[in-house]
Amino acid sequence: MRRARKIKVDHNSEFELDLAPLLAVMVKLVPVLLVSSAFVQMMVIETELPQVVSEAIQRQENQNTPTNVAMEIDAKDGIRIIITEKGQEKVETIPLKDGAFDMNTLHQKLVAVKKAHPEVFKLELNPDGKVPYDTIVKIMDAARQARDNTVKFPVFDTKQGKNVETNYMFPEIIFANTMEG
Amino acid sequence: MSRRRRYEPKTKKNSTFGLNITSMTDMFTIMLVFLLQSYSTSEVQLNPEKDIRLPSSASMTNATESIKLSLSGNELKIDQTKIADVKNADFLPQDLEDKDSNFIKPLFQELDKIAKSETEKDKAHVKEGRILLQADKDLPYATLRKVMYTASMAGFPQLKLVTMVGE
Repeated sequence: MRRARKIKVDHNSEFELDLAPLLAVMVKLVPVLLVSSAFVQMMVIETELPQVVSEAIQRQENQNTPTNVAMEIDAKDGIRIIITEKGQEKVETIPLKDGAFDMNTLHQKLVAVKKAHPEVFKLELNPDGKVPYDTIVKIMDAARQARDNTVKFPVFDTKQGKNVETNYMFPEIIFANTMEG
Repeated sequence: MSRRRRYEPKTKKNSTFGLNITSMTDMFTIMLVFLLQSYSTSEVQLNPEKDIRLPSSASMTNATESIKLSLSGNELKIDQTKIADVKNADFLPQDLEDKDSNFIKPLFQELDKIAKSETEKDKAHVKEGRILLQADKDLPYATLRKVMYTASMAGFPQLKLVTMVGE
């Protein structure tokens, strides 16, 4: 009987991986991605909101005498938050701090206003002509969303029939004095 | 005395050599990951204007198809076409309406032309009146307000402000 031939296995041998096809794919992918890459990320400020928040805004617009929150921005005096509720005006002033707008105090005050009036999502902005655009964007940032993720505001969801939570404060910002002469 | 023969390495004709491409593959992998990270998923390509420094914001909303306006310290442009000059952060008196100092005549004419044009008027962004505004962050609100006012008058009330991501 013939003996089975023993295959010699060299345990110390090395083999080389053929990386050429992988490299060929990468060389083609890199230019494609280079062309479609966004090295400067640009976004827009607008009101794209979750459905529940959009519905709440709609409800607010349908109310006859809704609470109105407005903000006057003055390059000399600072920011004034004007809350009009049932015909009564309540004004809160945030003076300038070291010659600049105090964004942290403004944000804290707006969080307090939102907690007192969770049904309000619209904010009217009345900036002075001298206020720089950069400052307006910073103020809009302070008003749109709560910076602290633990701070939530209740919104009534009509579909579920209960309150749900959101961190949106005043996502609908309107430049109220644009059309004034 | 016998002369020493110079050493000559043996050269094998028709021989091939193996190129070590492992390090090159490493480099490409790193580049691929970086490029995938900065890949743009927005449906609209926004090109930053060279003389405009955009304000930064925490907003993470992608741009949608709109009329693109850009307002720098020198000029107002629609796409790449210059509409009006800007000097000392204000428009020139000849570009503004005499009775209404917020009304920029050339901008209104151009937007009105787009709104009435046969090829453009049926597009969704023109019907809804959407505008993307790239404006320099140092410009005062008074200058921006003139653009907003004129755009609203021309039937483009939906203004979207273009901002940069991060600080």
